Amino acid sequence: MQAKSKKQISLSRRNTLVGISFILPNFIGFFIFVLIPVIFSLALSVTEWDGFNAMKFVGFDNFVAIFKDRVFKGSIGKTAYFSIFTVFFSMCASLGLAVLLNQKLKGKAIFRCAIFFPYVASNVAVAVVWNFLFRDIGPINNFLRSIGIANPPGWTASTDWVIPALIIVNIWKNMGYFMIVYLAALQDIPSSLYEAAQIDGANSLQRFKSITLPMLTPSTFFVVMMLTINSFKVFDLVYLMTEGGPGTASTMMSQYIYNQAFISWSYGRSSAAAMVLFLIVAALTAFQFRMEKKWVSYM
Amino acid sequence: MKNRICRKFLASALALTLVGSMLAGCGNKPAENVNNTESSTTEANTSTEEANTAQTDNASDKEEPAAPEADTSAEEVTLKIATWDATTIATTAPLIEAFEAAHPNIKVELIDIASADYTQKLTVMLNGGNDLDVVWIKDADTTPSIAARGQLEDLTPYIERDGIDLDAYNGVASRLNIGGKQVALPISTGFYLLYYNKDIFDEANVPYPSNDMTWAEFEELAAKVTSGEGNDKKYGALLHTWQACVQNWGVQDGEHTILDTDYTFFKPYYEMALRMQDAGTIMDFSTLKTGNIHYSSPFQQGQVAMMPMGTWFMATMISKINAGECSVNWGIATLPHADNLEAGYTVGSTTPLGINANSSNKEAAWEFIKFACGEEGAKIYSENGDIPAMKDDSILAVIAGLDGMPEGAAEALVTKNIALDRPLDEKSAEVNQMLGEEHSLIMIGELSIDDGLAEMAERSKEIQGK
Repeated sequence: MQAKSKKQISLSRRNTLVGISFILPNFIGFFIFVLIPVIFSLALSVTEWDGFNAMKFVGFDNFVAIFKDRVFKGSIGKTAYFSIFTVFFSMCASLGLAVLLNQKLKGKAIFRCAIFFPYVASNVAVAVVWNFLFRDIGPINNFLRSIGIANPPGWTASTDWVIPALIIVNIWKNMGYFMIVYLAALQDIPSSLYEAAQIDGANSLQRFKSITLPMLTPSTFFVVMMLTINSFKVFDLVYLMTEGGPGTASTMMSQYIYNQAFISWSYGRSSAAAMVLFLIVAALTAFQFRMEKKWVSYM
Repeated sequence: MKNRICRKFLASALALTLVGSMLAGCGNKPAENVNNTESSTTEANTSTEEANTAQTDNASDKEEPAAPEADTSAEEVTLKIATWDATTIATTAPLIEAFEAAHPNIKVELIDIASADYTQKLTVMLNGGNDLDVVWIKDADTTPSIAARGQLEDLTPYIERDGIDLDAYNGVASRLNIGGKQVALPISTGFYLLYYNKDIFDEANVPYPSNDMTWAEFEELAAKVTSGEGNDKKYGALLHTWQACVQNWGVQDGEHTILDTDYTFFKPYYEMALRMQDAGTIMDFSTLKTGNIHYSSPFQQGQVAMMPMGTWFMATMISKINAGECSVNWGIATLPHADNLEAGYTVGSTTPLGINANSSNKEAAWEFIKFACGEEGAKIYSENGDIPAMKDDSILAVIAGLDGMPEGAAEALVTKNIALDRPLDEKSAEVNQMLGEEHSLIMIGELSIDDGLAEMAERSKEIQGK
C-alpha cells in the first residue's frame, strides 16, 4: 500500500522535497536567528519599549529623535569617511600584494602566511598591540620623530587622527584575506593570454592594464562589495580600540547603535539607527549590483 | 527493487525524524514557559488566598504571613544570586559562606558575571523572565529603570515585619525608595578618599596629606613631591581617566549634580587638572587612556604620590600587599574639599541589593538581604576592608584595625556627607556617557574648558529634554 502511494509521487516532486529537506536546516537557523530578530528590530524601531512591559507604538518618533542627535548625524559622516578609505586602500593593498606574491619568489608561502595572519588574529589582541604602537611615545611616533617630523599625529588620542588610525589597522587586518581572493583569481588567468600579448609586443604594464585588471573584475566586484558591507558595519575594532572616542570622534553607526541599546537602554532609538544603517548598506549593495554590468567582465 | 524502496522509505523516515526533532527542539521553550506561567499563577493564587486570610490579622503581614517562615527553615532552598567578579571581590565569598552557615537550609548559587558586562547581562536576564532571586545592582543609577519595569519586589512589608531600622544606612536607604516602594537596600556605600604613598613623601621630606585639605593645597602638595624624569619619574598625583576623577569634585558639595544643565561648577576642577597635566605633576590623560592603564598599577608600582580613589581600593591594596605583589607603604586621608566646604564632604556611590519580582523564593531572598545588608553583613564587609552601607564608629574601628590597614584610617574614614556621584535617575547613564565623551575632549586639549562645558550643557539639555 505504502510503496504504491510512494510511487505515485512524481519524480520532480520528490526532487523538490529532497531539495527542501537539504536547505531546511539552514533556513530554520536563518529564520530563527536572523529573520525574526530583523523583523523584531523593525518593530522596535517604531515603538518605545523598556524590554519588559508592553510596547508603545510611537510611529517615527525614534527616527526623528536620532536625526536630531548630533552624535548620530556625525556618525553617518564618520562611517562614510572610514568606509571610503578602507575600501579603496584595502583593495589596492590586497591587489598589489597578490600580484607581488604571485611571482616566482623564494619563500612566498611564508610571506603569504604572514600577510594572512592578521585576518585570523583576535581583534582584542590586535587592538591592544595597535593601541600600544599608536601611543604618543610609542614606536610609530618615535620613528616619525627620528625621520624629522617634529609633531607626529596624536593617533587615537586626537579627534583628527583617530579615524585614519582605525583605517590603517583595518586595512592591515583585512588585506590578507582579500589578497587570497585575488591570488586565486590571478592563477585562473590563462597564461596563453600573456604569451599572445608578449608576442604582440605588449610590455608588462600594458599586460597588467589590458589583461590582468579586466580578468580580475569579477573578484574586484566581490572584494569591493564585501569591504563596503564590512566597513559600514565595523564595530569590534573601534569598540576595542577607542570605544568611539576621544569624545565622539570615532563613534560610527554601529557604535552609536550599541551605545543607544546598552548604555542608554533605548532599544527604540537603537533599532531605528540600525534600520538606517541597514537601508544605507542595502542601497549601496543594490547600486553596486546595478553598476556590475557596466564594468565587470565575465569570460 | 524492494531493497530500493526500503532504502527510500528509510531515508524519508530519517529526514522526517530529523525535522521532527528539530521542531520539537524549537517547541520546547514555549512549552516550558507555559509551565512556568502555570506554576506562577498557582503561586499567585495561593498567595492571594493567604493574603485574604491574613488581611483580617494585620496589614503588614499581608504579603508574607508568619507561617512560611517555618517552611523555609525546614525546606531546602537554592537561592540564585547574580553578582560580578565574585572571585576577585574580597567580600563576596566570606559573605556567602557566613550566610550559608547561618542558614543551613539555604544554598546559594552565585551567578558570577564579568563586571564590565554585568549591568547589560542583568537587564537581559531580568527582561527574559529569569528566575534569579537576589539581584546585586552594580550601577545604582539603573535602579529606577529596573524598578520601573516592575522587576524589583517592594521590600516595605518585609522591612516593617522584621523591624529593620532604615536610619542606620546614613540616609542612603531613602534614596532607594522609589515611588513609595523600597525597591532595594544598600549593601555597601563606597566613597572617595585620598590614597598616598608614604615613601614618596618621606623621600621628599614633605609632611603627609592631612584629613582637612583643600583642592588648592592638594595641587601644591602634588607639585612638591613630583620628582625625577622618564621611567623613574614620581608623579605628585594621579587623576584616573574617568570623568568622575575631575567632575566628582564639582558635585562634592551635594548641591550640584551631573543632571544640572549648567556645568560651570566643573570649571575650577578642569582648570586644576589641566594645570597639573601641563606642569607634569599628574600623569598625562592621553597616555593613561591610550595605554589603557588601570589606576591601580601606577600607584602599586610606587609611581604616584597621591590618588583620589574610592574606598573599594583599600581591599585591593590589603590583598595585594598580603600576597606580596606590592610593597607600597600607603596611607589614606579624607578627600580634599573646596574652600567653602568642611572636611568630610565626599562623593560616593552605593550598591543596592534587591529581590527579583519573578523570584519563587522571596522569603529566602529576603533572609539573604536582611543578612547581607544587616549587622552580620556589615561586619563581614568591614572585616574584609570594604565599607558597608550600615556603618557606625564601631564598624569604622573594625575597618581601621584590620591587618594591613594604614595608621589613622579611622579618622580618614569619617564622613560628614556622601553625595551620590550619579543621581538615581533614569537619565543618569546617558548624561554620564555624554559627560565622559566631553571630558576626554577637554583633557586631551581638543576643546577648551569653556567650549567643553558649554557643549556639555547643550547636550545635557537635549538628553533630558529640558
